[in-house]
Amino acid sequence: MGGLYGSLGIALGALAADRGAIEITSNNIANVNTPGYSREQVSLSENSPVQIGGLLFGTGVTLGQTTSIRDNLLERRLDQENQSAAQLNAFLGPLNQVQTLFNEAGGTGLQSSITAFFNSLIQLSDNPSDPAFRQGVVTAGQNLASAFRQDSANLQALQSNTDLSVQQSVNQINEITAQIASLNVQISGLVSVGKDPGAFLDQRTQLVRQLSGLVAVSETDAGNGSLTITTSGGAALVVAGHSFALSTQINGSTTFHDVYSQGSDITSSVTGGALGGEIQVRDQEIPSILNKLDTLAYNLAISVNTQSKAGFDANGNPGVNFFVAPASVTGASSSFTVAITDPNLVAASSDGTVGSNGNAQALAKLQNQNIVNGQTPANFYSGLIFQIGNDISQAQSEQTAVGLVQQQLQDQRSAISGVSLDEEAVSLIRFQGAYQAAANVVSVVNHLLDTTLAITTT
Amino acid sequence: MSLRINPDPAPDLLAAIAANRKERNTALQEISTGRNVNQISDNPAATAEVVLNHIQSSQDNQYLRNISDLQAQGQSIDATLNSTVQAVTQAISLGIEGANGTLSDADRQAVAEQLIGIRNQVLSLANQTYQGNFVFSGTATSTQPFVLDPTQPNGVKYNGNTNTNSIAISQGNSIPINVPGSQIFTNPAGDVLGSLNGIITALQNNSGIVAANANLQQAFTQLTTQRVFYGNSLQQLQATQTFLNSEKIQLAQQENTLVGVDLASSITNLQQSTIATNAILSAAGQILSTLNLLSFLK
Repeated sequence: MGGLYGSLGIALGALAADRGAIEITSNNIANVNTPGYSREQVSLSENSPVQIGGLLFGTGVTLGQTTSIRDNLLERRLDQENQSAAQLNAFLGPLNQVQTLFNEAGGTGLQSSITAFFNSLIQLSDNPSDPAFRQGVVTAGQNLASAFRQDSANLQALQSNTDLSVQQSVNQINEITAQIASLNVQISGLVSVGKDPGAFLDQRTQLVRQLSGLVAVSETDAGNGSLTITTSGGAALVVAGHSFALSTQINGSTTFHDVYSQGSDITSSVTGGALGGEIQVRDQEIPSILNKLDTLAYNLAISVNTQSKAGFDANGNPGVNFFVAPASVTGASSSFTVAITDPNLVAASSDGTVGSNGNAQALAKLQNQNIVNGQTPANFYSGLIFQIGNDISQAQSEQTAVGLVQQQLQDQRSAISGVSLDEEAVSLIRFQGAYQAAANVVSVVNHLLDTTLAITTT
Repeated sequence: MSLRINPDPAPDLLAAIAANRKERNTALQEISTGRNVNQISDNPAATAEVVLNHIQSSQDNQYLRNISDLQAQGQSIDATLNSTVQAVTQAISLGIEGANGTLSDADRQAVAEQLIGIRNQVLSLANQTYQGNFVFSGTATSTQPFVLDPTQPNGVKYNGNTNTNSIAISQGNSIPINVPGSQIFTNPAGDVLGSLNGIITALQNNSGIVAANANLQQAFTQLTTQRVFYGNSLQQLQATQTFLNSEKIQLAQQENTLVGVDLASSITNLQQSTIATNAILSAAGQILSTLNLLSFLK
């Protein structure tokens, strides 16, 4: 090496390196708004010198591997917060609908039907022989039954919708894990030959982010560039180039879909992400609310029936069940029905005469007696309202907190991996200048060569 | 190397705009509804209290409607008993007149005829109905309580029963609302209809008039005693009505305390959030449209 040709080689190398650096800068600028893109950094390295005689001569510059700038720990933290945020979103979606069903803040919930029923009995006690008042009790009972059935049906519809979401989430998980497995192969292939898999890493990071929005996962670096992913409960999702699809099967007792991994039911161990939130709503929150609604319906029906049978109807006959007797607590609200249609069968009398209001009084007093799990119907229902509101309120608070953490982490990620147009402009100017200088060197060397050749030919 | 800062402020700006809009919407909703709790999750504890408040308030409304009905019924019965008292007073006068030894048989018969008219009037009052129900037949309200029956010792048969009804007029507070007719009109301690029949028979037979008058006087005393029950009931209803109206006001105040909006505070919040929204929008407009170094490359 050495001489004019050596200089020409160095200049050509510099041209190539600067052209490559400009390409990388252009790519960064092009992806300034690409979600999940991590900026790439140019790596220029000085070539090894050569010794000629007693002197060392530099041999120019080489464009090394580009490096994607990312903080893997930060990416994991973002995944974790994404799991929490998605779980809370999936939890709050259906529960906000539950909230509108029990709109007691607006005074249009079940409370008004319960109160109207007992008020109709108070009214009947004022004039137990009045056919209109008797009909009023039957109508108020039917309205109450309808309100119970409506609330129960709406809750069950929400449960069914959430079950559908569970199946959709599982399908999305399977699509994403298949893509991640494919990317694992490409990334490990590039890593094995010493190349930077930056773009594929960005894609995989984005997919893992999407996956963590669906289910809580654990990520393990397999060491060769591939990522092993399991659910937080330990069910394998991706190992090297293989993905393990989750499946759903109908549970005979609940009629909803359980989640299976390689033949094992993992429903109860699924946490986090949309799937975790959906399972939480479907299998815990709504059943809990339904159970309380059923408990209220069951105890109301049993107590009213017992008191009805202690009295006499308008014809002087012993009272009969006012509501259809529920077989069990489970399903009591969905089957809540008034058993009588003839207002004369309302057992208002305590002595068999039509003018007696003793039993109507006793029926009306049930509303202030501890007939529902040791509480009055009003207190029990009020407790249910508090539970629903409190669960939503807590989830909303967590959602706000998680949102703030997500925002901060996203800011940190952007500070590390985001593309700054100012930085890229500086790089562009620098590499443009270097390229122009190298081109000038070529021109000068070319001129010198011409001069030299002219000497030899003269 | 200097600390690298986040080159993309857009997500933070959008989050800030969204937060301000949310605050603004909340303030607007509070002002338009007059409530700071518009869904359960806004304040679960307050909503749970409001549920109980609404139940109590609704019950109170029903109690007040019952009281209003009972007052109308009580006043009707009291008016009936007042007419009865006047009729018996008149009968007592006629009885005293009939006891006058100077009267001829024809005069006594004439007095007896007047007393028969009064007896029939009292009988009619004792069979008074209110909204189609006999009010003096105990709980057998579909049965006419009193009929003349010569086979009975007092000449009157009571077909009602001796049961009474009570009615709740406020939570945990029930009052009896009727006295069986037998206790008012054929009470052994003072039998109104029996003593009227007695004085009529005595005048017709000119025998035992003084004793019959004494019985009638005793019946009058008994009648006025029984009438007190309805007077007391009306007073109790009035007192409870006042209490319930007061409780309703308290419940409304309590609800307002629980979920009512502090209008001044909400309007201030609305203004603040509006100013903040405008400020962040202005800032976002400036920040996002700021030129970068690339803009100056030639």
